[in-house]
Amino acid sequence: MSGHRVRAITRRLLQGFRRDRRTVALLFVAPIVILGLLGYLIRGSSTVPDVGIANQDTGPLGATVADALSRSTQIETTTISEADGDARLKDGSLVAYIVFPADFSQQAQGGQIAPEVHVEGSQPGQYAPVIQALGQSLISLAGSSAPKFQPKVTYLYGGTAYDTLDYFGAAFIGLIVFFLVFVITIVSFLNERSQGTLERLMASPLRRGEIVLGYMIGFTVLALIQAAEVLVFALAVLKIQNHGNVLLIFGMEALMAIAAVNLGIFLSMFARSEFQAVQFIPLVIVPQFLLSGIIFPVSSEPGALQWLSGVLPLTYAVNGMRDIMVKGADLSSSGLLLDAGVVAGFAILLIAAGTATLRRRLG
Amino acid sequence: MSESYAVNLEGVSKSFGAFKALNGVDLRVRRGEIYGLLGPNGAGKTTLIRLICGLLEAQGGTVTVLGQRMPNVSVLRHIGYMTQAPALYPGLSAEENVEFFAAINGVESGVKEALELVQLYERRKSVVATLSGGMRQRCSLACALVHRPEVLLLDEPTVGIDPQLRVQFWDYFRRMAAAGTTLIVSSHVMDEADRCQRLGLIQYGRLLAEGSPVEIRSQGGSQNLEEAFLALAGRKES
Repeated sequence: MSGHRVRAITRRLLQGFRRDRRTVALLFVAPIVILGLLGYLIRGSSTVPDVGIANQDTGPLGATVADALSRSTQIETTTISEADGDARLKDGSLVAYIVFPADFSQQAQGGQIAPEVHVEGSQPGQYAPVIQALGQSLISLAGSSAPKFQPKVTYLYGGTAYDTLDYFGAAFIGLIVFFLVFVITIVSFLNERSQGTLERLMASPLRRGEIVLGYMIGFTVLALIQAAEVLVFALAVLKIQNHGNVLLIFGMEALMAIAAVNLGIFLSMFARSEFQAVQFIPLVIVPQFLLSGIIFPVSSEPGALQWLSGVLPLTYAVNGMRDIMVKGADLSSSGLLLDAGVVAGFAILLIAAGTATLRRRLG
Repeated sequence: MSESYAVNLEGVSKSFGAFKALNGVDLRVRRGEIYGLLGPNGAGKTTLIRLICGLLEAQGGTVTVLGQRMPNVSVLRHIGYMTQAPALYPGLSAEENVEFFAAINGVESGVKEALELVQLYERRKSVVATLSGGMRQRCSLACALVHRPEVLLLDEPTVGIDPQLRVQFWDYFRRMAAAGTTLIVSSHVMDEADRCQRLGLIQYGRLLAEGSPVEIRSQGGSQNLEEAFLALAGRKES
């Protein structure tokens, strides 16, 4: 073992980085950006769910509990009528609503407290604070001698069998396809540059649009086979709940694959080596992963980040996938059409950007 | 513009930032001739070839190929370009590579002939990544000529090739020229110059001299082409 030779290797390594400013920047800037984003996302999020209260109690208890709930820090309450409840859950303005039935006070005297809790249910665990707040309000009113608390929970979507995997699975089916297709495209397009074949293509009668379209079709075919495999595995093996049309899921995956292929072609113009191309992965994928609502619902993000989420294609893709699989949305749903439209719009934008940045001339 | 020239450059200049790669170059290549572009590394040979096939656009002067001002995509069908390093798809077989370049030039036939010409037909099923350097170079040549271009641009085609193969390459080139193909071959190896019908000597982005090997010798005042070149280069510099 020669210290001299080891030192030579170490020095060679650091000398190389000195000339690759982008890698150095990534090494030291990216962790701060990613951690900062995560911190802002979690600390700045408003996680207090909006809950509607419909009080039909003929006795006094309903009003008292409603009043106690309005002072709870765990939830934000609004008074609604029961008839509006489901519509407010569907449009996303409420996470849950509680109905105190007409005989609520009477039941309580009979030793049983049974408020009706209607939850939206597409996000597991989201209604836990609602039940918790309700229980705490009752305890604060009646002390330890409280009657038996038996809320009747109804789900708009999902249900008791619906778990975390069902929620994340819908989003991940899309994310996996998007991510892998992006990585494969950016690296193989860069290969085309570095092995010199792109120069040959440019000196041939091929038109730029033909190159981009050829790439797009090739990778989309691969992506669709992959998407089908992922879908079959998710539904048949993992048994992720699906209430929608399988073809719609597949269609959404196809749109995402096309967007990912063209994002890869577009970004490959800004990388000189595979090494630099790989660096786009954390820059492109991590913020989208954090901000597209896969883990943290967009509605609970701090205002500035919600705006950022609104311009990321994956946000719409994830939302669309969940609408199809969890809520059973079909083509009559305007929300799904909007999501699909935005993802398609991004794909078209990226096709144009990829074609425009692919220059025939070298300089 | 006289149609007898396959390639015609008039007063062509090209800079990359502050660096003047080509400075007022005039160059004429007749149809069916082998034109040798000679000069040391960094003289501007590759830049010149890239201008001819439209990969670069001249800042001054005009580049005309087969009667058309370049860059012009429709002319590219008639141009074959062999890059300096063998640019091939390493995961495809030799035959698949040649088929691909035939297809993007709108040709379906000629793959077998091209592979036979470079004597790779027996190895056509071999994946390029497993071929030797010389075989890759030959495969690269086959890709450049499979669509039977009228103008064949060869950027240092014999670099890194053993003498035996170099003789073979020049044999192919002569056969193609005899069949009417115009060839522009760049090289920094002087002993290849004698195999060309006409030569252009380039240094520091300028054309120092142009003519047949015999003419260049008399211009440089030496029977040795290398010495003639050095004499011409020295004369320009002073």
